[in-house]
Amino acid sequence: MKIREELKNKIISLCSMTSVSGFEGICEDDLVVLIGGGFDEHYKDRVGNHVFVKRCGKANAPRILVDAHYDEIGMMVTEVCDGGFLKFTNIGGIDRAILAASDVVIHGSETFDGVIASTPPHLRQGEEGDLPEIKDMIIDTGMDKEYLLKTAPVGTPVTFRKRYTELLGGQISGASFDNKACAAAAAYGIERAERERLAGDVYLVLSAYEETSHMGGISPAAFDIEPHYAMVVDVNLADCPAAPKRETVTLGEGVSISKSAATDKRLTEATERLCKDKDIAFSIIAAASSTGTNAASLNIIRAGVPVVDVGLPLKNMHTYNEVISLDDALTLRRLIEEFVCSRELAEEFGRTVELFDEEVSYGK
Amino acid sequence: MANKIYDREKSLSLIKSLSLAFGPTGCEEPVVELIEKKLETLSVPFMRDRMGNIIARLRFGDIKVEGRRKIMVSAHMDEVGFMINEVDDKGYFHMDTVGGIDGSVMAGRKVLVGDGKRLTCGVIASTAIHHKKKDERSKAEKLEKLYIDIGATDRESAKQYADIGSFVAFDSEFYTFGKNRSFIKSKALDDRMGCAAMLEVIEALADTDVCGDLDVYFCFTVREEIGLSGALTAANLIRPDLALVLETTAVGDIEGASPEKRVAELGEGVCISLMDRSTIYGRAEIDFVLSLARQEGIALQVKKYVSGGNDAGSIHKSGSGVKTVALSVPTRYLHSPSCVANFEDYLAQRDIVEAIIRKSNEYFSDVTLS
Repeated sequence: MKIREELKNKIISLCSMTSVSGFEGICEDDLVVLIGGGFDEHYKDRVGNHVFVKRCGKANAPRILVDAHYDEIGMMVTEVCDGGFLKFTNIGGIDRAILAASDVVIHGSETFDGVIASTPPHLRQGEEGDLPEIKDMIIDTGMDKEYLLKTAPVGTPVTFRKRYTELLGGQISGASFDNKACAAAAAYGIERAERERLAGDVYLVLSAYEETSHMGGISPAAFDIEPHYAMVVDVNLADCPAAPKRETVTLGEGVSISKSAATDKRLTEATERLCKDKDIAFSIIAAASSTGTNAASLNIIRAGVPVVDVGLPLKNMHTYNEVISLDDALTLRRLIEEFVCSRELAEEFGRTVELFDEEVSYGK
Repeated sequence: MANKIYDREKSLSLIKSLSLAFGPTGCEEPVVELIEKKLETLSVPFMRDRMGNIIARLRFGDIKVEGRRKIMVSAHMDEVGFMINEVDDKGYFHMDTVGGIDGSVMAGRKVLVGDGKRLTCGVIASTAIHHKKKDERSKAEKLEKLYIDIGATDRESAKQYADIGSFVAFDSEFYTFGKNRSFIKSKALDDRMGCAAMLEVIEALADTDVCGDLDVYFCFTVREEIGLSGALTAANLIRPDLALVLETTAVGDIEGASPEKRVAELGEGVCISLMDRSTIYGRAEIDFVLSLARQEGIALQVKKYVSGGNDAGSIHKSGSGVKTVALSVPTRYLHSPSCVANFEDYLAQRDIVEAIIRKSNEYFSDVTLS
């Protein structure tokens, strides 16, 4: 029960932080305080990835990378208008169907609230159900124009207001579970793994820029770390009435493991075996040519990094009321702990890169 | 030197066994097994890298000499296919594509389903024309509407043979036809012909001493078809001075095609690319190959249309940059169960690669590499 409460608190604390793609630095100090305690080293690289290292204490140990992107979708001010209104654009994929009359927070030199304007039915022109484009929507701040020009000029990030509530059956609802719920579960899983059990040095990469481009933060981080093998954790679309079943996983039945031409087949199968051995609930989802996550870009770094793509089922993706199951998050936490402690994986995938008999060094 | 030590039937049987092997992107193991077996019989040293590429190496000259040149030759082992993403309660499999497959070549085709170790025959089901409305008859069936029938009667019996995440490849026949039976028809000629050419070149060069101090790395690569080239990581590992990419290139040299879309002509030789959608090739390398082909009497044509892309796209940008040449067998109906190529063009591809390796000292002494 204690683990459950701790994980829930960690998820909510991390998801509450502001980390819109490109503006991840806003939460930097809080992030390091929340995550850093369980790790031996921490650094931030040139593109804004935060790398937390936990050492196993043995020389020449394999480097195991666990990636969870920590940026979130959001918005950005594009114009300060008369009357206290701001025009904005989206950062990452936002469905304009959810925007009208949404609560937002403007993160300028001061942080203040706003509401996205909506047209009441009484004043509607055109067909019911027509949605304006994002460029034609405005945020009502109630401030005057001078104040806005000074504190929230063009380029200022905007987020949804975040509020976390509990649903039935251990589900929680709120913003930015994509992907900081996974990041929290990963951090907690590695933190709780006893050092003597670790199968290698563990690099938790909280990566930047995933929402705007899958080729974002993780590639340079992996280039530096040169991991022997890796797991990418990201949320996965959960089954719901509107979604095609074959593209979703069921919420509450554990984590998902992707089968894909874009990930490592052997590591994927080894991770499945690990789940079976340790009684970790999982389901398989087919992601034929692409996982839509960092896995593909991580896979082709340097001489190649075997990677497995693991998902946390999530409903209402990219809205401010995403829903996850705390049971699934606990399952994910446990899988990550077992993944970084698995001797079998280290044995099979922890080999040094060699070209025939020559060890390959990259000039380090 | 062309065709001296080669035997037509032997070459055809190699192309046949390789092209019929099951190997959709991400599940190349059956092809790997064939190639490894062949390399073992040739007693050529080879390794697997972390991506799953096979790398065979031939070393020439004095291996103690510093600054030995490195050539990387690559052809990809994977083919386009499908992955199962749902097993329904009637025992039918639903699927998504792995790599680019046109909707018009799916319905009603035979397929093999499985993980490479055990394969099961199936058919991509197609709605009978009797059940189609008039406007539906003029369109390819959407992928979401297609499904694979292996003859199972319910979900449980189907799942004994394949499951979500299992792979699917076309089940096709290999045959030769046309004048002098010089046309080859099979699935996956893209790029098993390139793999066959590499194996034949390895065989021809294995016990020779070519041209100076040179290491040649023959890379049978994975995952070309989804654009996540295994060739990239192989190039990162090898860091070659020159790379030769052996490929097929889609051509439209058929009745009714507009002249600019013909791209190249079957039977006119192997194609060299000047530019495609992933690479602008170096002029010095192109000129070297053109002049070599003239000297050796090898049929070579210039690809006449800027289209497609291949492993050269990732190889030439790897590390601090790699001089790269793409040599492709012109092939009709690419990414379908019935690709058609000309055997003479295959021979030209194989011969030009062998000639380039033999004469590479001329290239390396003419160009400035760092």
